[in-house]
Amino acid sequence: MPLEILLILVIGGIAGITLLLHLTGRSSQRVLTQGTARMDWRRHFPDDVVIDVTVSHDGHAALVRTETGTGLLWSLGADTVGRHLLDFDWIEHPNGFEFQFRDFSSPGVVVHLDELERRHWQHLMEPS
Amino acid sequence: MTDHVSFPDAVQWAVPFFIAAILAEFLWITIKGRGGRYETRDAVTSLIMGAGNIASGFVLGFIAYAFFMWLWQITPLNLGTSIPIIILCFVLDDLRYYWVHRFGHRIRWVWASHVNHHSSQHYNLTTALRQTWTYTFTFMMVVRAPLILLGFHPALVLFCGGLNLIYQFWIHTEAIGKMPRWFESVMNTPSHHRAHHGRNARYLDCNYAGVFIIWDKMFGTFVPEQEDDRVDYGLVHNIGTFNPLRVAFHEWVGMWRDATQPGLTLSQRLAYCFAPPGYSHDGSRDSSEQIKKKHLDRHPSDRGTPGFEQFDKNPPNTRAKRA
Repeated sequence: MPLEILLILVIGGIAGITLLLHLTGRSSQRVLTQGTARMDWRRHFPDDVVIDVTVSHDGHAALVRTETGTGLLWSLGADTVGRHLLDFDWIEHPNGFEFQFRDFSSPGVVVHLDELERRHWQHLMEPS
Repeated sequence: MTDHVSFPDAVQWAVPFFIAAILAEFLWITIKGRGGRYETRDAVTSLIMGAGNIASGFVLGFIAYAFFMWLWQITPLNLGTSIPIIILCFVLDDLRYYWVHRFGHRIRWVWASHVNHHSSQHYNLTTALRQTWTYTFTFMMVVRAPLILLGFHPALVLFCGGLNLIYQFWIHTEAIGKMPRWFESVMNTPSHHRAHHGRNARYLDCNYAGVFIIWDKMFGTFVPEQEDDRVDYGLVHNIGTFNPLRVAFHEWVGMWRDATQPGLTLSQRLAYCFAPPGYSHDGSRDSSEQIKKKHLDRHPSDRGTPGFEQFDKNPPNTRAKRA
């Protein structure tokens, strides 16, 4: 196949499918509740025993406390990703906290929190 | 031998079909309200990975092709390009695919290339195109060497490999349940391949087939999709990014970091590169065998069921109690 035709097909195909998916509402992020966050954490870490779950007001992140430590669950498109808060940094962000992981496959996430939540999450993340 | 043989690049010619089939699947899911899920950024990442795979073929494909042409020059055999030889080459190349795919899940060096294909939590036709950019660096082209030394022309072998990939496109869908029983027993199907993409303990390291599922049945890696254990797609540790560069290279970076950490012996460093995924020198990670064992500790009733056959139905402590 001539290269220029292949390029048109590939670029046009990707652009067209992207537009179609976005315009038909496939870009919305997963919204978590206490129940779904707990279930998703168990899905990612079936060995963990969850103590409690704190979901952010926007529903896009949750702090999960387990018997072995604390973890962060967040929305990634229509799904979620979870990481134990072991090898990480968290820094203040105008909209909440930015979590940075030393993990090339999951570099970090900004969790949107209001002022009240910010203090609560900070308290929950402090080592007891 | 330098006789000129030419076959079309089947994968490139299939691109319009790929686009049309994705649109048809999306339309089907939208109208029926079942049969899979689409998410914009996930799908775009998969499509970009597919485009990158074609581009990497342009840039790096000459390495494998030069190796194959060198083998072709030293072999005294030439089986020609008759229809029976093309069919035989297709079947043998599918056996080659089975083993390369199995190595891809059991050797971390090869997994580093293949992992991106499993990195989506979705399973639709775009997932089929989420292909590696780094296959050349796995050196798995050597597994094709016996075919060429047996007298199959490199162009024919690559043509059959392209047809194999095109076949595998349509099985990446939830829109098709099960095919007729005779077809399911011989061919790789959406149902068999859904199980292969599962991160459930039951489905880890199963169904490596490309076109013919018989290889898995022959070599003991076949696990049928279970109605009571719905496939959960993705990786055991799912990645948290849609960035194609991170998708393509994350396992290579992880392997480098693991193998170069201070205080390891040489054998530990090599194990981080070539042992099955999940190896760790300090036991802090789980291999697929350990994941299955832990699952059975939580769900003992699954012992002996498909995907857990290697674990005795009656564990030693139960047998002791009975005795």
